[in-house]
Amino acid sequence: MISIDKLSKAYGAHVALHKLTLEIEAGEIFGFLGHNGAGKTTAIHMLTTLMKPSSGTARIAGHDIRADPISVRRAIGYVPENVRLYDTMTARENLTFFARLSGVGEVQECIEETLELLKCPELTDRLVGSFSKGQRQRIGLAQAILHRPDILFLDEPSSGLDPLGMKTLRELIVQLNEELGMTIFMNTHLIGEVVKVATSIGILSQGQLVFHDTIDAVRHNYGSDANLEDLYLSVTPVSQAVRVA
Amino acid sequence: MLKRSSPIWIIATKDVADAMQDRFIIVVTAFLVAAALTALVTGAVALATDVMTYNDARTTLLALGKSADAIAAPEFYPLRLLRGAVEQTEIIGAVIAILVGYRAAASERGRKTLALIMTRPIQNRQFMVGKALGGLMLLAGGLAIVFVLTAITLQVVSGVGLTLTDLGRIAIIWASSVVYAYSFFLLSFMLAFWLKKLPTALLLSFSIWLLVVLVAPQIGDTLDPDNQVAGGVFKQLHILKTDQIRIMRGYASFETIREGIEAASLTKRFERLSFAVLGIKDTYVGKPLASVLKEKQGDALWLVLVVFVLQALLFSRPIDLNRLTQE
Amino acid sequence: MFRSTGLIARHSMALVFRERTVSFLTVLFMALVLVSAYLGWSATTTVNAIYQSAAAFLTSTHQPIPPNPVLNTSPLSLLRNMSTYVSLIGSLASIVIGFQLVAMDRKGGVVPLIGVRPMAGNAYALGKVFALVALVLGLVGAAACVSVMTFQILPEFRLDGTGWRHLTLFFGTSALYMGLFGLMGLASGAYAKSETVSLLIPVTLWLTVTFIFPQLTSNIHPTAALNPVKALVDPPHSSFFTYAELVLGPVSLADAYKVLSARLLEFLPPGHVIRSVVSPATTLVMATVFSIGLAIVSLRKMDMTKGDYDA
Repeated sequence: MISIDKLSKAYGAHVALHKLTLEIEAGEIFGFLGHNGAGKTTAIHMLTTLMKPSSGTARIAGHDIRADPISVRRAIGYVPENVRLYDTMTARENLTFFARLSGVGEVQECIEETLELLKCPELTDRLVGSFSKGQRQRIGLAQAILHRPDILFLDEPSSGLDPLGMKTLRELIVQLNEELGMTIFMNTHLIGEVVKVATSIGILSQGQLVFHDTIDAVRHNYGSDANLEDLYLSVTPVSQAVRVA
Repeated sequence: MLKRSSPIWIIATKDVADAMQDRFIIVVTAFLVAAALTALVTGAVALATDVMTYNDARTTLLALGKSADAIAAPEFYPLRLLRGAVEQTEIIGAVIAILVGYRAAASERGRKTLALIMTRPIQNRQFMVGKALGGLMLLAGGLAIVFVLTAITLQVVSGVGLTLTDLGRIAIIWASSVVYAYSFFLLSFMLAFWLKKLPTALLLSFSIWLLVVLVAPQIGDTLDPDNQVAGGVFKQLHILKTDQIRIMRGYASFETIREGIEAASLTKRFERLSFAVLGIKDTYVGKPLASVLKEKQGDALWLVLVVFVLQALLFSRPIDLNRLTQE
Repeated sequence: MFRSTGLIARHSMALVFRERTVSFLTVLFMALVLVSAYLGWSATTTVNAIYQSAAAFLTSTHQPIPPNPVLNTSPLSLLRNMSTYVSLIGSLASIVIGFQLVAMDRKGGVVPLIGVRPMAGNAYALGKVFALVALVLGLVGAAACVSVMTFQILPEFRLDGTGWRHLTLFFGTSALYMGLFGLMGLASGAYAKSETVSLLIPVTLWLTVTFIFPQLTSNIHPTAALNPVKALVDPPHSSFFTYAELVLGPVSLADAYKVLSARLLEFLPPGHVIRSVVSPATTLVMATVFSIGLAIVSLRKMDMTKGDYDA
């Protein structure tokens, strides 16, 4: 479903992402871990065609990100970090706009179904400006799945959420994966969160992929979550990561 | 006198240092300097053209054996060349003040810096006074640069040295322009601190600037019948000044309304004061400075009163840290 | 592409008036359109009344009575203050509209959400430009309706066919002038990193063409530039002003608009000479074409990954 081949991005002399090569199968929930500034967001921006790579390419749902970005966009949904939306519009108005841009047919029906799916129908006709962070996150997720994409890209989805919010988000991600068959590509720096939902993980450090394996294999080889933290810290240079006592 | 360790002084000097590092403030000040100097140079060129025209006419008359008394020599008062510079200051100086005020508030809002400042042992009022003082210092400095460069250029283009009195008059205009600009600083600073959305504050400040600086004076100017005909309606009708006054007595209410609209504009007040002090308005040419200031004290007091009212409004409302530290 | 472009345009138009600043400036513009109609009527009737008083006085002192300066003025000239308000509030309102059309997306953080939608590259840019054009035309259309109503209410002012044609062309020219600045607002809203700077770039350009260029080309002081009659005074006969107008004429947008509107509203002083190498109409058209290009390029190059302003 996602096939990345030596994808790179350089800003002058600074290399933000160096020859990322990765295969993610359909139906996976892929957790992309890395410290702040590792290059995770840069990777997502290129995979979602928001940014052109310096070299390399990727195929998303069979479409090349360089040669056929429009088809790639038809197949994906994207939720950026700290999504805000139009404050002066209601959730319905926001979603109507994004649904139409995505070419959704029965827009209102789709919106209502999506908000039911995400367990927030009560937000439909309220102004987004009045929403809490968690509520905005739900509507942010809703706009990304209106057209039922094959792949959902999430950039730091649990950023700023409380523990209940994180739990709810995890459940939604699993639900979207299991009920709608979406492949999920999720950026995060929270190891504890990603291991609860992901089926495979990759660790990015200073623009380079330093680890990639299934969660089952990781658990088998490394055991408990505390050991996963050791794994993460062991593949990430000390200068870029902080040991938590 | 403020001590260096006073929170007010610390906040004020921090703001000034911040603004000096901001290319943007430097660019807009340079823009005002360019505008003022442009006005000065074009005024000088126009005057030089008048002089040349007079000299040509005089030579022709003398060659024909006629007296040159028939034509009026153009009068040269160097400070009158500052008219355009004063008008540019009215308009662009107010814009700069709005931006400085807006940035003084915007730089703290939405960032954690405001919370960091206010968890120090300083009072809310000290913070506000410090911010206001910083803005005042920036405006005074920027306008000083404008007027110093203008005065130097005036001497160069006019070829006439400025007397101490002339420099004193320019200094008075600098001081009144600082007070004038400070009003707009206070306005935008207040709005940027109080309103929920920062861009709304900036645009509302610009809208008020538009009304006060451009629209009100324009309405007052347009309602003046003398400005509705090219060259002046009374000149077109060949009516003498004494007779003009007699005729206009019949339009007293109309003139009162027109005057009222103009007088309500801070810009018009500043302009009237400046034009009187610099002798730009005919009736004040050659008049002693003391008598001009006495006659124009109403306009000067108006400028100061507006500043007092805005400052009182600013300090009347406590800082809502809770709201201001949110994005 | 047309579907997406239309959608972006319609959505933008619906949303922009929810920005209070846009609504406020629009209301202010309409209020001043009404004021300009009053001012024109008031000025004309006052000058007329003064003339009658002056004529009576001159008769009593056995002096000759010169002709009434407003007797032969066109009814269209009572709208002359409209040209001032178009170049003041109209332009600024357009700058704000253009800026907000982009800013509301950037500040809402929705630029990446739009960027990942399956639409052609130019759809977003064209949608915003069309939205701006429609909004400016709407604003000018409303102003035109108010002006037409003014003519209906004041029976002494009647227009013939040529008059109506000139009036229509005047509003068309005003829409072009306002649209120019709106496009600048759109371009800088997309291009600038800082919100303050993105507003300031078009405002600075506006200040330059409205107050500084007329000073250079005609020695017209800023406050005189606000008076539609004083702004048309001939410059001093100096090679400095002649060459300044030659060089700056093609970019002196305010001067071009001022001359065109004076011509269309029939209050251009007889014998007024234009020394620019390019006609005023050509100046405005060229500037508009350039601004459209600039707006489209700026919107295309806008970073769709983040979008929000720095400060």
